[in-house]
Amino acid sequence: MVLVTLVRDYINRMLQDISGMKVLILDSQTVSIVSVVYSQSDLLKKEVFLVELMDSISKSKESMSHLKAVYFLRPTSENIQLLRRQLANPRFGEYHLFFSNILKDTQIHILADSDEHEAVQQVQEFYADFVAVDPCHFTLNIFSNHLYMLPVAMDPSNLQHYCDRIVDGISAVFLALKRRPIIRYQRTSDIAKRIAQESGKLMYQQESGLFDFRRAEISPLLLVLDRRDDPVTPLLNQWTYQAMVHELLGIQDNKVDLRTIGSIPKDQQEVVLSSEQDAFFKANMYENFGDIGMNIKKMVDEFQQIAKSNQNIQTVEDMAKFVDNYPEYRKMHGNVSKHVTLVTEMSKIVEERKLMLVSQTEQELACNGGQGAAFEAVTNLLNNDNVSDIDRLRLVMLYALRYEKESPVQLMQLFNKLAAKSAKYKPGLVQFLLKQAGVDKRTGDLYGNRDLLNIARNMARGLKGVENVYTQHQPLLFQTMESISKGRLRDVDYPYVGNHYQQARPQDVVIFIVGGTTYEEARSVALLNSTNSGIRFILGGTAILNSKRFLKDLEEAHRQIRSSSTGV
Amino acid sequence: MATRNRTILFRKYRDTLQTVGSPTSNGVRTDKTASQKALNWQLHLCFTPMLPVLMPLSVLKNPPLPGIPYCVASELNRSGAVALGLPPEWVDLSEDVPSNVQRAHAKMAELKKAHAKALMPSFGDGKEDQQRIETLTHEITDLIRRSERKLQRLAAAGPSKDSNVRKNVQHSLASELQSLSMELRKKQSAYLKRLRQQEEGPNGVDFEMNIQGSRSQAEDDDLDDTAFNEHQLTRIKKSEALTTEREQEIQQSVNELAQIMKDLSVLVIDQGTIVDRIDHNIQSVAATVEEGLKQLQKAERTQKHGGMVKCATVLIIMCFIMLVLLFLKEIFF
Repeated sequence: MVLVTLVRDYINRMLQDISGMKVLILDSQTVSIVSVVYSQSDLLKKEVFLVELMDSISKSKESMSHLKAVYFLRPTSENIQLLRRQLANPRFGEYHLFFSNILKDTQIHILADSDEHEAVQQVQEFYADFVAVDPCHFTLNIFSNHLYMLPVAMDPSNLQHYCDRIVDGISAVFLALKRRPIIRYQRTSDIAKRIAQESGKLMYQQESGLFDFRRAEISPLLLVLDRRDDPVTPLLNQWTYQAMVHELLGIQDNKVDLRTIGSIPKDQQEVVLSSEQDAFFKANMYENFGDIGMNIKKMVDEFQQIAKSNQNIQTVEDMAKFVDNYPEYRKMHGNVSKHVTLVTEMSKIVEERKLMLVSQTEQELACNGGQGAAFEAVTNLLNNDNVSDIDRLRLVMLYALRYEKESPVQLMQLFNKLAAKSAKYKPGLVQFLLKQAGVDKRTGDLYGNRDLLNIARNMARGLKGVENVYTQHQPLLFQTMESISKGRLRDVDYPYVGNHYQQARPQDVVIFIVGGTTYEEARSVALLNSTNSGIRFILGGTAILNSKRFLKDLEEAHRQIRSSSTGV
Repeated sequence: MATRNRTILFRKYRDTLQTVGSPTSNGVRTDKTASQKALNWQLHLCFTPMLPVLMPLSVLKNPPLPGIPYCVASELNRSGAVALGLPPEWVDLSEDVPSNVQRAHAKMAELKKAHAKALMPSFGDGKEDQQRIETLTHEITDLIRRSERKLQRLAAAGPSKDSNVRKNVQHSLASELQSLSMELRKKQSAYLKRLRQQEEGPNGVDFEMNIQGSRSQAEDDDLDDTAFNEHQLTRIKKSEALTTEREQEIQQSVNELAQIMKDLSVLVIDQGTIVDRIDHNIQSVAATVEEGLKQLQKAERTQKHGGMVKCATVLIIMCFIMLVLLFLKEIFF
């Protein structure tokens, strides 16, 4: 079953047994969870006539006792406190409480204590605790995502919150799938190990009754990875539709906010990019920029034809047909404008920042060898005044990640040039990245130059030439998934938690990347799933990264470590 | 998908806490709960026999929960268990619309049967069928128009506490009405098309037969030919007139429906756009409330420092001065 369907089913079950007019109350996290899978018109069909946020509803005092309240919240202590106050002075007729994860007994006590008016009709746990942005891609939208880069001793309580949220999200995914997985993690990452062990404890010891599903089939696999094993993918510029929109404009909960960009008509300032609701987007989300341009042109031509025939109304019959097809026509018009606006904006940005030039060098740094040529190319681009600061920083980082050990003198030269050219560059950021994600810290074979087989494969690819220079990069995740499907994921690099071992090839694999996923990786997952290889992969992370977000996390972690070291 | 029901545990805790009295709260609460329960029980006994008389239509739709008395006065809410209260009056207004929709659906089924019957070849003129179709179509259009007007009235009363709920109820009812009117239009246009086909059909056949007839009799009288031709022509003209008349009536109702659809399409939410997103609606509510507050503050400020107010005061003072001067002039001169 697909993630979006699972969350939709949960919400359907919440609403269907309660008759009459309802009000749905969500908190700031569950709003995202519900909004990506359920639309306002779906809610109206289920007779939910009001949707409120938990914080705003605690401020208003009016009583609407003819409405039945359906609460869908995360079981955090803040929510329980707010709920306590509301139950003490109930505004609605009935209260139906649904929590997105496991409630502690103390929390149930507190709620029962405050329910003096016996307004609560049911208390249920419906495990929809993740944001299902695409059928095989989910995120947890964690705000302070940089915590995974900090050493444990620095901020233990926040780090514990962070890990708890991740474990909650992962367990919710498996409860929704009704399976209990075998857990493996990346050996070199402490945080991956911690999360894997805590999930194992939860699923096999603390709540083993809840997770005890029929084990007739092969158990699925949960693989916990660390973002720092593949720092290259979030730094690269993207050229496939969904990834490109996120890289250049930013997608949040399947919405794109264009308000900061001027001269956009009012109804296109915020648009929805959801593969479930937009057939054109679903067909084109993984296509590269050139193909998208052609497909949009085709769509615009079709639309123009229909518009012309609409203007040519002569008989009453034509009029009748026009009125019949008007809703369809309006929807198509909206869709066409949306995609045309997005592609126009992105083309403008590509032109301004000279991204074609920059991205070519980036892809060379990520995929092919040749240190000398790479150094020259990066130096040229650093000297080019048209290249923006963020692009310069990315180029130097990519060079540093690849040629960390070769020719440190030239690396130093690049650092100095970068500091000279970019005013806002915070010194030491690239070195920080190398400390976090350098060659010594990585498990996977990021550049394919560790074992002979990979070197040979790379050479063959170089000789053959690539179809498209801009999309030649394949994320490390792709190789990991291939190893899993061949059953060749090494135990040394990815040990098991507990003493449950995988007997055969798993059929469902959930890969969780601590630190965030990228849309490029989601694309690999989707393309691999569509080849029907017998294994279904699901990808999840703490956030969905683009280069801006990844750099922000790096900077934040760097700043915290520096301030704590100077303070102490 | 896995779920877990914690209601039983919750109720157990709630009952134990209420009967024993939680150690953290004061002892007054235990007395209140006991009297609470007694009051509930009494009210239940008093009010249940009167329930069928007092309950409004909207409440009948949602059957009452067992053991909870339906109460009108708010005093009960304070002392007793929270009960599902009575909805405000506009809900009655909005409830009329779904009942109209139901009636319209029933009539549409009848209309479908009448269409089918009228299209079947019959010996008679079929005038009663036509009448019936006309009346049914008019009734349905009438129902839709009335529901639409009620829907507009739903929004008319200014901003109130539950304006969001009203807006959403409006949206959902508008989409139902729109689908209903589209169905009616489709049925009408299909009927019209088939009617036209049929009219051509029998006319064509008649024509052909008459042509044959006229040709076979062409060897006979010329006079007979012209007589047949004339008779033929008048019949064709009459049937044409009838068809055009019928067409006109149907077109009129089509136009009416088109107008209604245009009005409704403003109310209906486009699926798949940003307006259909829950988080967007929540934010826009907050944003419009803030905007409204800002506008109010601005209006207050402009009114206070309004140039208009100053002018008016100055003028009034001038008037008084002139009046005083006039009196003085009268007195001294």
